[in-house]
Amino acid sequence: MAPPKSSPAASNVVHTLWKAYSGQTSDRLKFIDAFLVFLMLSGIAQFLYCVLVTDYPFNAFLAGFSSNVGQFVLTASLRSQVNPENKNEFKEVSPERYMTLYCGRS
Amino acid sequence: MLSLHIVALLVAGAQAAVLTLTSPRFIVSSSSGSHLRSEPLSLVYPASTPVSLAKDDVLKLTFQVVDKESGKGVQPHQTFLRFYDKISGEEGIQPVRVTNGGKAKFELNLARPPLSLPPTSSNAPLQVSLLIGSSTHSPLALTLFDLVIPASHPAPVHPDEASFHPLPEIHHTFRPEQKLPPRPISVIASAVVLAPWVVLLGLWAQVAPRAVHVLSPSIFPFILTLGAFESLLVWYWVDLKLGQVLSYGGVLALVTVFAGKQALSKIGDRRVGRK
Repeated sequence: MAPPKSSPAASNVVHTLWKAYSGQTSDRLKFIDAFLVFLMLSGIAQFLYCVLVTDYPFNAFLAGFSSNVGQFVLTASLRSQVNPENKNEFKEVSPERYMTLYCGRS
Repeated sequence: MLSLHIVALLVAGAQAAVLTLTSPRFIVSSSSGSHLRSEPLSLVYPASTPVSLAKDDVLKLTFQVVDKESGKGVQPHQTFLRFYDKISGEEGIQPVRVTNGGKAKFELNLARPPLSLPPTSSNAPLQVSLLIGSSTHSPLALTLFDLVIPASHPAPVHPDEASFHPLPEIHHTFRPEQKLPPRPISVIASAVVLAPWVVLLGLWAQVAPRAVHVLSPSIFPFILTLGAFESLLVWYWVDLKLGQVLSYGGVLALVTVFAGKQALSKIGDRRVGRK
């Protein structure tokens, strides 16, 4: 996502990428990223359960999975607004406004 | 029973004259014209062996109706041959033409069977009897012989015949009741689904930003109302109905809007002031 690939290492791109991410991303964004990872893992787990085991309480699956996806989308948009690198894109929207929208939509 | 014969004389009056037959005779001939059987008929006993006709055979029956006393030929008003199936109860009445002199000739051609012939089965002979009625004489009923003819074709089936039977009973088949998976699988799946929480809490423990102002009096009510919303949804899941949730949620939303406005404007002031 945000972390720039400033040091192109020939051997281990992934390691470099991770290092760049953990070094250059603010804790606030990492906090949101952790939540995104959580939502993703939770959605994947529910989807696999539905596919592999049973879809019996299908409405329960729908509710759980769709709320996961919805929350993921909202959180991802919040992250893109909070990210300092995108500041120029959202000049006219105050951080309080993001938060209001985020809480309201959630 | 073949030995049974009926000569029914229903005496209309004491002076009623009596009719009888002279030279009653039957001839069975094949389609080519050769005589297969030719016998006189007894008026007292029916023929001992039944008359049998093959597919294209012709039965000829000749007799003369005469007054028993004078011996003169009489033309009765009604003369019928009756074919009766004792087993099925079906009967057919065939009028016989009698001349002025009382002579009668009846021909039964199995190649063109008359409509009056009742439907026959393979094992039951038809009882053939002669019925004569006249206004000037006593009526006469004579059992002539038993007639064995090939079984008739089955009646044609009406095109709608199949609709007039009870239909087979309808058995509904339902999809079997869906079952929950076995308990161990459910437990494992629950653990898998809950595992992301561990990941989340683990990650948050490392990168959680310092929430300095959360407990300040301006922000904390907002957090509290958001928490109340979550509790309301849990309560909805456990117990409440949708209408209750909407009404409670409406009230809670008003409070939340005020608290949120307060909290966020406070944060905004702080941010602007810091800048």
